[in-house]
Amino acid sequence: MIAPLLGLEINFWLLLVVKMGLIAGVISGAALVAIYGELKISAHMQSRIGPYFAGGRFGWAQPIADGVKFFQKEDLMPDDADPFVYKAAPYVVLGGTVATFVIIPWGPDLSVRDLDLGLFYLLAVSSISTIGVLMAGWSSANKYSLMGGLRAAGQLIAYELPLVLAAVGVAIQAGTMSLGGIVEAQTQAVWTIGSVDIALPYVLGGQLIGFVIFITASLAELSRTPFDMPIAESELVSGYMTEYSGFRFAAFFLGEYAGMIALAAIASTLFLGGFWVPGVSADALQYLGPLVLAAKMGALIFLFIWMRWTFPRLREDQLQSLAWRWLIPAALLNIAVTAVFKVVL
Amino acid sequence: MTTPPEIMMHLSEAAVSVELETAEMTLNIGPQHPSTHGVLRLVAKVDGERVSEVEPVIGYMHRGYEKLTEVRTYPQITALVNRIDWVSGFANEIPFMVAAERLMGIEAPPRAQYIRLILTEMARISSHLIFASSYPLEIGAATPLMHALRERERILDLLESVTGGRFHPNFNRIGGVKPAAGAGASTKKVSQDLPAGFLDETRVAMERVVSVCDDLDGLVSGNEIFQARTKGVGVIPVEIAKSYGVSGPNMRASGVPFDVRKVDDYLPYDQFDFDVAVGENGDCWDRYQVRLEEIRQAARIISQAIDSMPSGELQAKVPRIIKVPKGQVYVRAENPKGEMGYFVVSEGGRIPYRVKIRTASFSNLTILQWILKGILIPDIIAILGSLDFVLGDVDR
Amino acid sequence: MTDSPSETPQAAEAEAPSEPTGGDVTELAAAVAAAVGGTVAQTEFGTAKVAVDRDNWAAAIASARDEAGLDFFNWLSAVDWTKDTTLGEGVAEPDTVEERFEVLCMLSTLTDGRKVTFSVDLPKDDASLGSLSSIFGGAEWHERETAEMFGIDFVGHPNLAKLYLPSEFEGHPLLKSFPLLSREVKPWPGKVDVENMPSTENPEAPSAEAAESDEGETG
Repeated sequence: MIAPLLGLEINFWLLLVVKMGLIAGVISGAALVAIYGELKISAHMQSRIGPYFAGGRFGWAQPIADGVKFFQKEDLMPDDADPFVYKAAPYVVLGGTVATFVIIPWGPDLSVRDLDLGLFYLLAVSSISTIGVLMAGWSSANKYSLMGGLRAAGQLIAYELPLVLAAVGVAIQAGTMSLGGIVEAQTQAVWTIGSVDIALPYVLGGQLIGFVIFITASLAELSRTPFDMPIAESELVSGYMTEYSGFRFAAFFLGEYAGMIALAAIASTLFLGGFWVPGVSADALQYLGPLVLAAKMGALIFLFIWMRWTFPRLREDQLQSLAWRWLIPAALLNIAVTAVFKVVL
Repeated sequence: MTTPPEIMMHLSEAAVSVELETAEMTLNIGPQHPSTHGVLRLVAKVDGERVSEVEPVIGYMHRGYEKLTEVRTYPQITALVNRIDWVSGFANEIPFMVAAERLMGIEAPPRAQYIRLILTEMARISSHLIFASSYPLEIGAATPLMHALRERERILDLLESVTGGRFHPNFNRIGGVKPAAGAGASTKKVSQDLPAGFLDETRVAMERVVSVCDDLDGLVSGNEIFQARTKGVGVIPVEIAKSYGVSGPNMRASGVPFDVRKVDDYLPYDQFDFDVAVGENGDCWDRYQVRLEEIRQAARIISQAIDSMPSGELQAKVPRIIKVPKGQVYVRAENPKGEMGYFVVSEGGRIPYRVKIRTASFSNLTILQWILKGILIPDIIAILGSLDFVLGDVDR
Repeated sequence: MTDSPSETPQAAEAEAPSEPTGGDVTELAAAVAAAVGGTVAQTEFGTAKVAVDRDNWAAAIASARDEAGLDFFNWLSAVDWTKDTTLGEGVAEPDTVEERFEVLCMLSTLTDGRKVTFSVDLPKDDASLGSLSSIFGGAEWHERETAEMFGIDFVGHPNLAKLYLPSEFEGHPLLKSFPLLSREVKPWPGKVDVENMPSTENPEAPSAEAAESDEGETG
């Protein structure tokens, strides 16, 4: 899509605006689908039906109705809250998440910008959300929010490391940090049986442990159960989001689902082969690529939702001990083994 | 499991507090809080995530039951008393009825006693299913709630079909039980029987209840995270349980195989074959397992009772105006929450002179200050949930 | 009992279960009374009651725990014996009743069904008693409740603050002389009031009455 457009030499700034609009649309649309999916899937797992009335028998308009509801609520702020920090916090969280969509490759030339340092940029930018969470927790002038914010800070920082280290294993194996390059590296044949080249996505091609670590760390980065101590509903009401209502709460809410989609997309790209399916030519992937990636993301999002509604939550010290004593050593081991194999083979 | 991370946290806390001298924060948990089972207020002194001490404040639901019993007649008190522990309404009426009957020297006919027993055990299943649904929710798992409550609806429908009420049956009468719902107030006292099909539906419901217990075993008990959150947390040693008066499943989880149903004869439990669920260590995990096992045993008792249900009258011959002779009696029962008893002081007449209501949850909560010391905040929630108390029971 | 298919020997036994009076406790009462140095007060209705002297109270409870094996603290409360009651029906023979508080403490065991109630009489003008909180930890809350409901002072109790009632509450609700406030302001039964009833003494102060009735509802 971009290649034919490039032939027309569209003004850079116009193209930029188009891309931003597309990303905004994709994020909102995908988030709505993810929210609806969560409502329905969790309901069926609990022998309920889920949304039923909004929009006919399937309740597909429920997320839209929720969005409208959030927009029309009163704009509240606690008296003791720090106004600037309080108002800025949701946008910092959302901004960090949205910025990760820049490098996701939807097809073999279909990304907003395929940076050479893609992976590095991704992991750096996704930590901005942590600051937003701390800002929200502190500025709410509420002891529960403060506790939620502190718990969140500890958790998010602790789980950044396994996330990064698992991604480093992929970077070593692919030899590049650009996400487009990583997908291309996964299309390289690993074996040749007869005349058929077998290429494996990295989850099967040596990065299974990395995949598991990445998924676990993603759940923790998203503060989803079993890692939702910061928002432990039965203890802190809503953690750092307690004092937020209306549009600002919608921003947090959207940020959570956008983050889920982003991390699912990244995990699919790094480990599951991204937009590539074996046996389909690169030209067809220009158009099928987004669908393939969406399907893989859908599978991962289903996994996230499934785990949320099945597991209880870990206690804070258990959570930290899982990160520091299990995930990080495993990720380091993974890097060492990957490096050895890369050099030897 | 908990020692190494605790040591690590202690060391890091020690380093930080030497340099920063973190101040202790007073955190108010409640009275409005999703996890305190009602209006309980805990004033906690916390340092980061660690709680140094907790002061419970109760009395938000004090309704003055003992004063009310001094101005109500015995049948009127029956209607009041099932609101003490509203989750297992029927079971609260039983010890009071038996106390009044003992003072009068009458006894309920066997069919009435069997019906009382079946409905008490159904109340027990209902109360423990509420526990089995809300406790995993407080730990973080949202799904068992739906499954357990779905089966509880069956039990409540059965209770409603017999007594007319889901939570507050008001079904006991001095000397027996009320002729089943639908008899009509104007007919003479004819023993109307249980609704048609009640016994068969109860059998089906018991099978469903046991199968949902198996589901919960797989979904919750087998989950490593749940085990990590509950094993070793909130241990109640036997000596402390005795000294504070902790009764019921909380005490049995500490390893004491004592069940009032086996030693007292307020209902004909000696006719039935059932085991007493006992735990080992007295931690939250054991309390959870004991209650699940009690659901199974209650289903077993009900099945046996249905099979051997005698026929006959539903209420002994009692005068229209109940006057209870002078005397003092204490009758206790094994309620789902623990041991519930009534000490009735009667001076002859229609209204008791004094009724002391010994409720299980009040005595169970007396250990809070002892048990909630030096633990983490999520553990407070886990322990409170595992004690399974109801504020109506605590505050009366 | 009419014949029915379910009339098995088990059900026949149901005709004559254990005595409706709850078993015979005379031996238990005598043994415990001897162990603690008290006297047997009652053994009817399956309820064993042992009367203890006021000075001997804490020692008696401690020896009940140590020697008689009654180590489970069940409950502690009091009864207000008085001849004039405006509420309910009073004592059966008002002329012979002795004005006193009777503090009751029940202990039981976790090995079998033994349970014994210990009672001690306190004069109304000097209603104080040694606290049991050093012997049984659970006595702390029970004694707090008894203190606020009856006005009995427990000597040696670590924290005798109010348990159920708000700290500004005046009076001791379970005394027979304390009125049931919901009946004072509104007549009972069943009369539905849509506005405050004017007080005969203070026609221009309905708010004070409303506040009093609010307090009374919670008390």
